[in-house]
Amino acid sequence: MRHLLRAMPTLLKVSVARNVAYRAEMTIWILTATMPLIMLALWNAVAASGPVAGFGQPEIARYFVATLVVRQITGAWVMWELSHLIRTGGMSAHLLRPMHPLWTYAVWVATAIPFRLVILTPIILAVGTWRPDLFVWPAPQQFALFVVSVTMAWITSFLVQCAFGLASFWVDKSDGMFESWNAVWGLLSGYVAPLAFFPAAWRPVLDALPFRGMLGLPVELLGGFLRPEDAARPLAIQAAWMVVSFALVMTLWRRGLVRNGAFGS
Amino acid sequence: MSRLTRATQIGSALIRTSLLTAMQYRSDLAFDAFAGLLRTIATSAPLLLVFQRDQTIAGWTLPEAAWVMSLYLLMQGILGGLVEPNLGEVVESVRSGNFDLVLMKPADAQLLVSVRTVAPSHIWDVLASILLAGWAVSQGGAPTPVNALVAFGLLICGLASMYALWLMAISLSFWFVRVDNLRFLLWSAADAGRWPIQVFSGWARTVLTFVIPVALLTSFPAMALRGQWDLSALATAAGVAVTFVVASRLAWTRALASYTSASS
Repeated sequence: MRHLLRAMPTLLKVSVARNVAYRAEMTIWILTATMPLIMLALWNAVAASGPVAGFGQPEIARYFVATLVVRQITGAWVMWELSHLIRTGGMSAHLLRPMHPLWTYAVWVATAIPFRLVILTPIILAVGTWRPDLFVWPAPQQFALFVVSVTMAWITSFLVQCAFGLASFWVDKSDGMFESWNAVWGLLSGYVAPLAFFPAAWRPVLDALPFRGMLGLPVELLGGFLRPEDAARPLAIQAAWMVVSFALVMTLWRRGLVRNGAFGS
Repeated sequence: MSRLTRATQIGSALIRTSLLTAMQYRSDLAFDAFAGLLRTIATSAPLLLVFQRDQTIAGWTLPEAAWVMSLYLLMQGILGGLVEPNLGEVVESVRSGNFDLVLMKPADAQLLVSVRTVAPSHIWDVLASILLAGWAVSQGGAPTPVNALVAFGLLICGLASMYALWLMAISLSFWFVRVDNLRFLLWSAADAGRWPIQVFSGWARTVLTFVIPVALLTSFPAMALRGQWDLSALATAAGVAVTFVVASRLAWTRALASYTSASS
């Protein structure tokens, strides 16, 4: 841990420089997350004939703008980096450093957040001029819960990507695996529709799955769709999944390194 | 005509060999099939979510919107299964210099890079597309032959334009090596084509018709099926398709001319 703290300033500097160096690539990545805007247009048309599950048109705009923001904050690309590193043998160089390689990536991904928010600002302002009534500032308590929740969502998303990246120690198709995970995530996390739009019978299942904690929960808190007094249970589930994903990544890492050695690298 | 026959022969031979290659890795194939099924379900499931209540959206009923989704899945199957897997390959072979081997073959390089690898798991998209279309016909009735013919023509125009768009993205990789993520951008923009174009506001409609012309092959044919077409729509589609195909061919030949192999 002391190593880490000592290395942190340099690590931060290097990460910011890396993000600046790949700014064009990063901009393209940021712009790929257009889904919330498409779904905003679609649900807006649906709500034209009356509110859907209590969501009128302003609420829908607010929900999907919050989705756009949370998606950008929690976005990571570590899965592709790790699987590339493992397949090409580049992992060996990382292992020589006196610091856990995943820290390097965690800092790199985290320092991208300001860039992402800057690029997002004009898009949000554009939606805001179209539907000014969407902006409602969350109460301080709600905002505090949002910060807690979005942090856990970031950690969980990062760890899940690490897990799929580390799967490259065993299988070639880890990016295909991640794509199918992503497809399910998109459907069940609140990305294509607020979870409130699903049939009521599905809710207990949707709430227990890890997907809500990776996106839907912080979105609901930021948009003011979840009262703080109701937030304890979902936050607990979110924290539980974060711990599970941490344990999974640590196990995969330990076992994977043994495999890695077997390649004679 | 013999050139066309030859091109067809080469194309089908390429698809056959890449299918055989894909089938060699049986566990991968089984896994891909499962992943592809999940992707297909995740693509089409929001349709049910949106039409939970008995209603119309922007003037579209569920069977009519199902046609849009069906055509989108068809495009995802054809482009994603046949064309898109090659984009990454070309980018990689330009970087490594392996592209020399493509140029040495006595056939059009565009054909060779367009169908060199296939992703068989996209067959689910095509199956789901057929299922949805069948369901839409059973609910909304079969279209008249004339409408069906017009819709088919629009579909071909749309497919040609989208293929051309992908080819332009491939061409870009000759100048800017790191464009692999351009395909993610293209897909995410094309995603809008899953829904009736009337859902979007004016400028987005223009983009989806002329810039990322995915509406040409989803909403336009779906409207044609219920008789909502006129000559100006047909002319627009044909114009866009011709422009895109010509531009992409130009971009491709330019890109080839600028290719300097790794060894020269």
